Amino acid sequence: MIEVKDLTFTYKDEKKPALQNISLTVPDGGFLGVIGPAGAGKTTLIRAVSGMIPHLFPGDFYGSVSVNGLDTFETSLPEISRLVGTVFQDVDSQIISPMVEDELLYGLENFGIPREEIPVRMEEALRKVGIADLRDRTIGSLSGGQRQKVAIASIVALRPQVLLLDEPTGELDPQSSRQVFSLLKELNEEQGTTVIVIEQKIMLLCEFSAQLAVLNQGRIAWQGDTRSVLLHAEELLALGVNCPRVTTLSRILSARLGEEQPVCTRPEEAEAMIRRLIR
Amino acid sequence: MTDLFRYVPGNSVIHRLNPVTRLLVTIAVCVAAFVSGNLYYLAGLLAVDLLIGFIAGIPGKTLTIFKGLLKIALFLFVLQILLVRRGTPVLWIITDEGLLTAAKVVLRLVIVCMPLALILSVTKVSDLTNSLVQVLHVPYQYAFTLSTAIRFIPQFLEEMSMIMEAQTARGVAFDKARGLKKFSMILPLCAPLLISSLRRTDQTAAAAAVRGFSLRTRRSGYKQYPFTLLDLAAALCSALLIAGAILL
Repeated sequence: MIEVKDLTFTYKDEKKPALQNISLTVPDGGFLGVIGPAGAGKTTLIRAVSGMIPHLFPGDFYGSVSVNGLDTFETSLPEISRLVGTVFQDVDSQIISPMVEDELLYGLENFGIPREEIPVRMEEALRKVGIADLRDRTIGSLSGGQRQKVAIASIVALRPQVLLLDEPTGELDPQSSRQVFSLLKELNEEQGTTVIVIEQKIMLLCEFSAQLAVLNQGRIAWQGDTRSVLLHAEELLALGVNCPRVTTLSRILSARLGEEQPVCTRPEEAEAMIRRLIR
Repeated sequence: MTDLFRYVPGNSVIHRLNPVTRLLVTIAVCVAAFVSGNLYYLAGLLAVDLLIGFIAGIPGKTLTIFKGLLKIALFLFVLQILLVRRGTPVLWIITDEGLLTAAKVVLRLVIVCMPLALILSVTKVSDLTNSLVQVLHVPYQYAFTLSTAIRFIPQFLEEMSMIMEAQTARGVAFDKARGLKKFSMILPLCAPLLISSLRRTDQTAAAAAVRGFSLRTRRSGYKQYPFTLLDLAAALCSALLIAGAILL
């Protein structure tokens, strides 16, 4: 379980806090989507949960963050890293090895994964992310999207209990984006991995994440299960967060018909709703 | 430039050598080049360089590197024969001793530069650094510095061309300028390049830290680098090269 309590964090040499009074809880095996405008503090939140704050980024830290019972302030970074895998937003700075294979090996070697298990994990991660054919390539020869997948695979291979991803589909085409989220769902459901993902494609969050947190100017504007957050469609729009069209549709219908309709997040649900209303 | 560091896969004798042995051969060639004062022996060492390239299965690249070095060598050669003032004049201000010294300097330059470039093209950086850590007990931090440096060379070039494209799109005519003019146009771009790389360094350090950088020990490497008979043979050849240089 991830518990953030009254977290306020100000980076060193900054006046304005990047995060203010953040409290949120993600249960074991939870799936939280984080969305919000640029500069809202999304990346800072990920850094706090991964232990990079306060261990690597100095600043004023108030409140507490605990991951599976470990307080990130008191636990050493390698200790937290054994539980938490982080995929950075800037893929190019995350990848440290010149070759794909070495990039996957890096974490596995460092955390002392048994020798016989390493090839199994590597193959599995490459296959799951769908880049088995890139294994022997150099990083320099890959496209942005391929690099992003390598970065994701290198973290998936570590089988972390908690997976943090900072806009993992930024460089990906729609099909690969869905593929990444399907993988997250698979890890979440089959291995019980807790997932926190920052994502700007609201449609993906609506479909895959159980919980949603909307950040704005360092504070949580809304949080809760995805459908209840989507009820605030108009306010979300004011923050620059679009709602999926089906959600807008169900909201408009609720207003026009004068009776509350369930919030739809998928086209199939909207279809069912319309069929019911026509009848 | 990127091509120079690109790994060429293969299964040649050189590929099968322990990375540490490859370094040993490289160093042996260099030492021999500096110890020997015999012009014929130096020419022989140059042949050894070329032979290494051909055995490694990269003749094309070997010749490219060789040709590139020849240009620098030619420049140095001219400089040397004009500067050395001892010996008997042969032609104009050129002396016999000048010619001999120049030939030796140039040969040494080519001999010393080639094997490292060749070995680097048939050795994965990770194999090199891992074996340095495992076999020679080099502290991992140094090995990491080396491998990340090489990892970021193509990244740097990519970023540089991106900045230049952005400038071109805003009307800077890089393509029309030549020589010093072009250089003075490129120089100001180094600031954004430096700043973005420095920012990246922090991120990369963080990425390494959250994947257990500090937990790594000498025994962490997954790949093993045992020495074989082949390595012994290569070591003997290296010893012979140096012995020959001393005797001749």
